[in-house]
Amino acid sequence: MSQTSEIPSNVHSRNENSFSSSTVNANSPRSQSARISTTRTRTETLAISVRNASKSFPRPDLPPVEAIADISLDVHLGEFVVIVGPSGCGKSTLLNIVAGLVEPDIGTVSLQGDSDAERIGRVAYMHQIDLLLPWRNVISNATLGLEIAGIPRPDADAKATELAQRFGIADFLNAYPATLSGGMRQRVALLRAVLPDRAVLLLDEPFKALDAITRAELQRWLSDVLDRTNRATVMVTHDVEEALMLGDRVLVMSPRPGRILLELDVDLPRPRPRDVVRETNFVELKWQLLSALDVDSAR
Amino acid sequence: MTVATPMSSQQQIRELANQTDAEHPTVSEYTFAMGARSFIRAWGSAMALAALGLVLWEILVRLLDVQTWILPPVSLILAELADKPSLFLRHASVTAQEILIGFAVSITFASVMATAMFWSRLLERSVYPFLIASQTIPVFTLAPMLLIWIGTGIAPKIVVVVLFTFFPVTINLMTGFKSVDSDMVAMFRTLGASRWQMFTKLYVRSALPYLFAGLKVAAVVSVIGAVIGEWISAASGLGWLIKTSTPKFQTELVFAAIFTLSVMAALMFIAIALLQSRILRNYPGSNPQGGQS
Repeated sequence: MSQTSEIPSNVHSRNENSFSSSTVNANSPRSQSARISTTRTRTETLAISVRNASKSFPRPDLPPVEAIADISLDVHLGEFVVIVGPSGCGKSTLLNIVAGLVEPDIGTVSLQGDSDAERIGRVAYMHQIDLLLPWRNVISNATLGLEIAGIPRPDADAKATELAQRFGIADFLNAYPATLSGGMRQRVALLRAVLPDRAVLLLDEPFKALDAITRAELQRWLSDVLDRTNRATVMVTHDVEEALMLGDRVLVMSPRPGRILLELDVDLPRPRPRDVVRETNFVELKWQLLSALDVDSAR
Repeated sequence: MTVATPMSSQQQIRELANQTDAEHPTVSEYTFAMGARSFIRAWGSAMALAALGLVLWEILVRLLDVQTWILPPVSLILAELADKPSLFLRHASVTAQEILIGFAVSITFASVMATAMFWSRLLERSVYPFLIASQTIPVFTLAPMLLIWIGTGIAPKIVVVVLFTFFPVTINLMTGFKSVDSDMVAMFRTLGASRWQMFTKLYVRSALPYLFAGLKVAAVVSVIGAVIGEWISAASGLGWLIKTSTPKFQTELVFAAIFTLSVMAALMFIAIALLQSRILRNYPGSNPQGGQS
């Protein structure tokens, strides 16, 4: 359904088994040319459009907290956009606004060109914590969104079982959240978010609560498991490397009230192996992000 | 184990549920073998302490040569129970009936109230203070009025039981509804849940541990309620038995009736605790031993 600009690279991103071969590829001399033709899946269809959004929250006896100020953001279908910023810079507020949980004081938000429609229930949203229901096992947690949408149980279960293999949770479908590791729980939470098949996926620091090893593992896993072609993904993080590992485009937000300070295209080929962090291009991008984030010294 | 066979999903789930391994016992194993073992682990020490207390009572009463009409030894109380089982059974069944009906009314009332308050903020704000205020009324003084209002049958006893038990159940259930994690609510909203779906799939399930906490308190006070109800006017029941036996200095009969009441309250508490540990098996912090919450 979505049109991709570069067919050969798109093949790369869709093939889950190409991971090891592409690792070699990235280190080979050809990687220079591969970098030019990045594996973009971006289409011309606008999925999210935020226009001059501002939001402040009232506080009793104190001036209101300005969470975000005059933010504009366009995300196309097939794009993976990462927003980095210091803690409390309004990143989550921005996601909540896109999701329709919060309305901006000023500005407009439209999903797929439709600014009037109710956004809530049309956006897949994954939070920092897994928010799995402890009384439901893995499969019925994963199918919660489908159940709410009124999809019959057997169909929902079949859909979840099909994806569970790719998500690496096929062996745990009957387990309860309390018996799972943090990484496994996040996988289930992501499966729950993506199963209803929404065009927009929001990820609010999805790996924040995990240890460094699990985190690195899940970062790689996420870029493999997400079929980016039909989806606009916005992820929030304060981890610069994570942003560059996963994003097509990285936005840097200022401390509160959050504004967009820098917009950076990440023209690194996909899939991105772990050792992409040693490449000069990566190091250069990382430095740009870090200096944009380090507001004091940059000024 | 991979799930790739072309079974229906329901079948697959049942298959998975029936898989037995050391870490995940099946449902039936939980119920019987583990039930007995965990029961001893949870209640064994309390029962040992009770036994020790009773033995001390027996020894002290005999050593100090206390008159039996002042405080009978345990053996005499037990003998009284063994001597007249049909008497105690008859009166206990009357009291049990009052308790169980009252309990059922309270749970129904609490469910209706808490649900109504969930749906209407206005109702919550206007009714909640009166729920609290209702607990400042000394039920003991109200009980004789019930006699005037609704007569001498089983009804006033049930009303007293309800007056004692509806409060802990209602307040706990409402607290349960209020304690639902706001992130969970946001998650449900982003999945497009209606208010009704949110209520049944999130609020009710989250409130269950609170409901059980309330039921445990109610189980214990329900016995007091029934005795007070019988104290005011009755022709049978353990409360009536105690009231009529005391002036006759039938002290061992009084204590035997008190024992029976305690056992009834304990049995109700244990029944609720076991039910809780079954239903809340997968909730965080719930121990499959089924002890205190």
